[in-house]
Amino acid sequence: MTDAGPAPGGAAAGGASAQPLLELCGLGIHFGGLRALSGLDLSVADREIVSIIGPNGAGKTTVFNAITGVYRPSEGQIRLAGDSIGGQPPHRITRRGIARTFQSLRLFLNMTVRENVITATYGATKATPVESMLRLPRARREQREVEAVAEEVLSFFGERLAGYRWDQPAYSLSYANRRRLEIARALATRPRLLLLDEPAAGMNPNETHEVTELIGRLREELALAILVIEHDMHVVEGISDRVVALDHGVKITEGAFHEVANHPAVIEAYLGKDPEALAEA
Amino acid sequence: MPIGVDEWVAQHGDRHDAGTGWRRAAARLDRRVGWWPRLALALLVGLIFGQLASNVNVETVAVNSLIYAILALGLNIAVGWTGLLDLGYVAFFGFGAYGYAIFSSHALGTGGVGGAPLPSIESIPIVLVAAGTFGAAIGMMSLRVSGDYLAIVTLFVGQAFVEFVNNVDPGTLGGVNGLYGLNPIHGFGGQIITPIGYYYFALIVCAVLMGLLHMLDNSRTGRAWKAVREDELAAEAMTIPTGAVKVMAISFGAVVGALAGTIFAAQQDNVFPTNFTANILILIYACLVLGGAGSIAGAVLGGIVVTAGEQMVSSPTDAGYLFYGLIVLALVLKVRPWRMLGAVIAATIALGVVLHAIVGAISSSAVAGSPGSGGWIGSLVSHWVIVPSKAVGYGNVLYILMICMVFALIHVRERYRLALLVPTIYVAACCWESRLIVNPSITAQILIGAILIATMAARPQGLLGSMRVEVV
Amino acid sequence: MHEFIQTLINGLTTGFLYALIALGYSMVYGVLKLLNFAHGDLYMVGAYIGYFVIQWFGGPQAVSIPVPLLVVIMFLLAGTGAGALGVLIERFAYRPLRTAPRIAPLITALGVSFILENSVLLLFGGFTRSYSTPSFISFSTGIHIGSVDIDSVQITIFVVSIVMMYGLMVLVHRTTLGKSMRAVASDREAAEMLGIDVNRTIAYTFFIGSAMAGVAGVMSGLAFNQISNTIGFLAGLQAFTAAVVGGIGSIPGAMIGGLFIGICESFASSYISSEYTDLIVFGILIVTLLIRPTGLFARPALQKV
Repeated sequence: MTDAGPAPGGAAAGGASAQPLLELCGLGIHFGGLRALSGLDLSVADREIVSIIGPNGAGKTTVFNAITGVYRPSEGQIRLAGDSIGGQPPHRITRRGIARTFQSLRLFLNMTVRENVITATYGATKATPVESMLRLPRARREQREVEAVAEEVLSFFGERLAGYRWDQPAYSLSYANRRRLEIARALATRPRLLLLDEPAAGMNPNETHEVTELIGRLREELALAILVIEHDMHVVEGISDRVVALDHGVKITEGAFHEVANHPAVIEAYLGKDPEALAEA
Repeated sequence: MPIGVDEWVAQHGDRHDAGTGWRRAAARLDRRVGWWPRLALALLVGLIFGQLASNVNVETVAVNSLIYAILALGLNIAVGWTGLLDLGYVAFFGFGAYGYAIFSSHALGTGGVGGAPLPSIESIPIVLVAAGTFGAAIGMMSLRVSGDYLAIVTLFVGQAFVEFVNNVDPGTLGGVNGLYGLNPIHGFGGQIITPIGYYYFALIVCAVLMGLLHMLDNSRTGRAWKAVREDELAAEAMTIPTGAVKVMAISFGAVVGALAGTIFAAQQDNVFPTNFTANILILIYACLVLGGAGSIAGAVLGGIVVTAGEQMVSSPTDAGYLFYGLIVLALVLKVRPWRMLGAVIAATIALGVVLHAIVGAISSSAVAGSPGSGGWIGSLVSHWVIVPSKAVGYGNVLYILMICMVFALIHVRERYRLALLVPTIYVAACCWESRLIVNPSITAQILIGAILIATMAARPQGLLGSMRVEVV
Repeated sequence: MHEFIQTLINGLTTGFLYALIALGYSMVYGVLKLLNFAHGDLYMVGAYIGYFVIQWFGGPQAVSIPVPLLVVIMFLLAGTGAGALGVLIERFAYRPLRTAPRIAPLITALGVSFILENSVLLLFGGFTRSYSTPSFISFSTGIHIGSVDIDSVQITIFVVSIVMMYGLMVLVHRTTLGKSMRAVASDREAAEMLGIDVNRTIAYTFFIGSAMAGVAGVMSGLAFNQISNTIGFLAGLQAFTAAVVGGIGSIPGAMIGGLFIGICESFASSYISSEYTDLIVFGILIVTLLIRPTGLFARPALQKV
């Protein structure tokens, strides 16, 4: 077993001069009177790993939903490699290269592991239903291609999602394997940017360690930019080039892990004010 | 290296396959044979059945079974695969039937539009394309409304269709009297006019349809449909355009329904608005639900079983087979151990014989009626069930009593259940013989409703469907 | 002008009936998230109970007790009968499916509806039966304003409906039971964990909703005379539309939706054509759903992703 994660800041240097892959400018999401996000500026460069932290209800998943098109921005802009994607439907945003996992797993439980992954290749294939029904050449060719993609993606996870599991229904997988499958499914869409929503939630220290390594491998071997929401600070410390802290829909600070972790506003957001200091003030 | 527990479990299949003996060999063969040899085998069985069918009645029932099988296949696309609740499906059936009828009669001629009816080779494709478009329009509604609301809207569409063909333009659509005198299906020099001809035609259509649907099932479109049923939001996030996929599902279902409609219209030689009411919709749902939503073979099996069952209920001799057969089957499946089963059956018979004797001794008119079942079953049970000479009121009371006893059966504790089962079966049999058989059409409807309720309660995946895990 | 008002009055009559049925739909949907297709058939059962009460007391020509007493008995028996039947249906058909996927109770409801309609057909025959209301209630009594007539049956319907609706609002907003209903409708699991007897609350909800439908059935028999085993399905569709247009799950929505649909139907029947009323109501439904998919009064539910 190698030691903890990729070196922070390893690939971040490349982002400075080039245009960031993902850019949120002044993003705001309002539901009636509830301002879930206000004035958020965030950017992720190519091959960069950025973590979003913050207490529950801070708006972290809302950021993901906005980026992936589930919510339409009330104000501000979302740009992917310079093109504005705010307001587009989710399936189109995913086809452009942003894939996500869900905080509470959303697998296709009654489909097999392999089918779960192959289903995500819909956007990359073009065969019409008629072509599929008559097994015309394009349909057959695409079927072979997507099966190869599925094998490739599932093999990335090695022994954990081993071959004999591929034809088992997804509901038979353990919790950790379900999380892996969800990542595998997202990878099948061939993204440039991967959004992981609490990938280590509910995992024991061993599994958490594996997740940390996995995220590093995703960046190194697949050249992905990754935006991660996480609560487990060990993971955040182990993977992040940059950390963004949110609270009540607003960014409170941003920077390297140790800067953010020791920032007084972040500590206050998680732990509340120091009662003695409050009494003095 | 020690092997993990669930890898061992996963290899269960391989160990099973490696066994010896003819049973294992048969299981191996079953696993290796794909779906199309099975389909070919089923087609062969169907063809042989066609050769053996002796009279027009059997042939007509057979054609109807296949029509309902095709209907269930179409409904399966939107409901079984995609998880949409389409309660207006019968409108597509009617659309196809009326479409064919319009083109195959002089309806257009009298309206001054064309003149002569179109040959089937031309009219059927036109009807199917139109049905697909109509289905797409209905499908568009699913983009704005979801789940339960879609159910209501589509239910209304079905109603609106019947209203439409009932009231609008009686000159072309025939109004309440419908259209009649339709041309049979013809083309390539021949035409189909006999029931057996329609049977073979429907059989070929059904088999080809099953094949095409299997191909779709394993294609990107099929996967997209199933993903929408599993989790629409996740599907959307995984590049699937859920809106378009849903519209496609309803549209495809509409085409299949319309296809069934054209065969129906051609075979019946007429169409009426009453052929496409909500009762028929529920019948189609019963076919799909019983057979197994989500399964192609299940849809076809459901269509055949329900139609054949309906037919059996109508004929006094066969109704007995159906009723007593179902009771015996249910007992065999549910009552264990075998000794208990034997005790229940013996007790039921004894109870009946004793009661019959007692009541017969008290009042001879109370047992003067004859059981509704004909044939050997009728003579067998005539000393068992109590059927008075004026059976209608008696039968009504028994009906209500039977329903109360079934409720009680569900409610009581386990150990009393077997004891209560005996009188319940007896009361049900008396009710069946004295009242239910006499009105087979109503009884058939009641059984359809019971199928829906019982299937959802006991085996939601139907006969051939697979169990689903859902996150509620 | 008087024709306009008369049409309005007639529309209000049917509107109240639809509102009463729609209330049951909305309440049940609120607590169980189930569209109870069998609800319209409880309306039909209530109508039949009322019919048999008339027969029991001597038949429409020779009613043996004072007419107001007869009507009260009809309402009470139909209400309790339909209510009890509703509770039984919930207990045996829907309760086992509480944790099943959404499609299962819907299909079961279709089955229950079918069995109810056909059981009545089996037991009582398929021919329409008549209340023969004019035999025991004279249509000339009532209010006459100019040339506008509101006969006593219609007045009864207005009064009883308004009283029942008011009673329902009081129940839902001022009593503990009402609070339990709102809690269960909002979050069933949380309500259970807070000590609310969910099964009993749901049973009460079904009872009240079904009882109102039963009373509406008697009213329909009194007002329109003809009852048959299919009136439940047709009225159910209209009441469905009313509940959806008003916002399913919302009680004021069901009331207003019912009146709205009743009035629209009446005007469509008078001024356009009585054959196309269903199509017109359907059109209203479609337009409402396109403009405001959750109906006029319901608050759109935010789904946490």
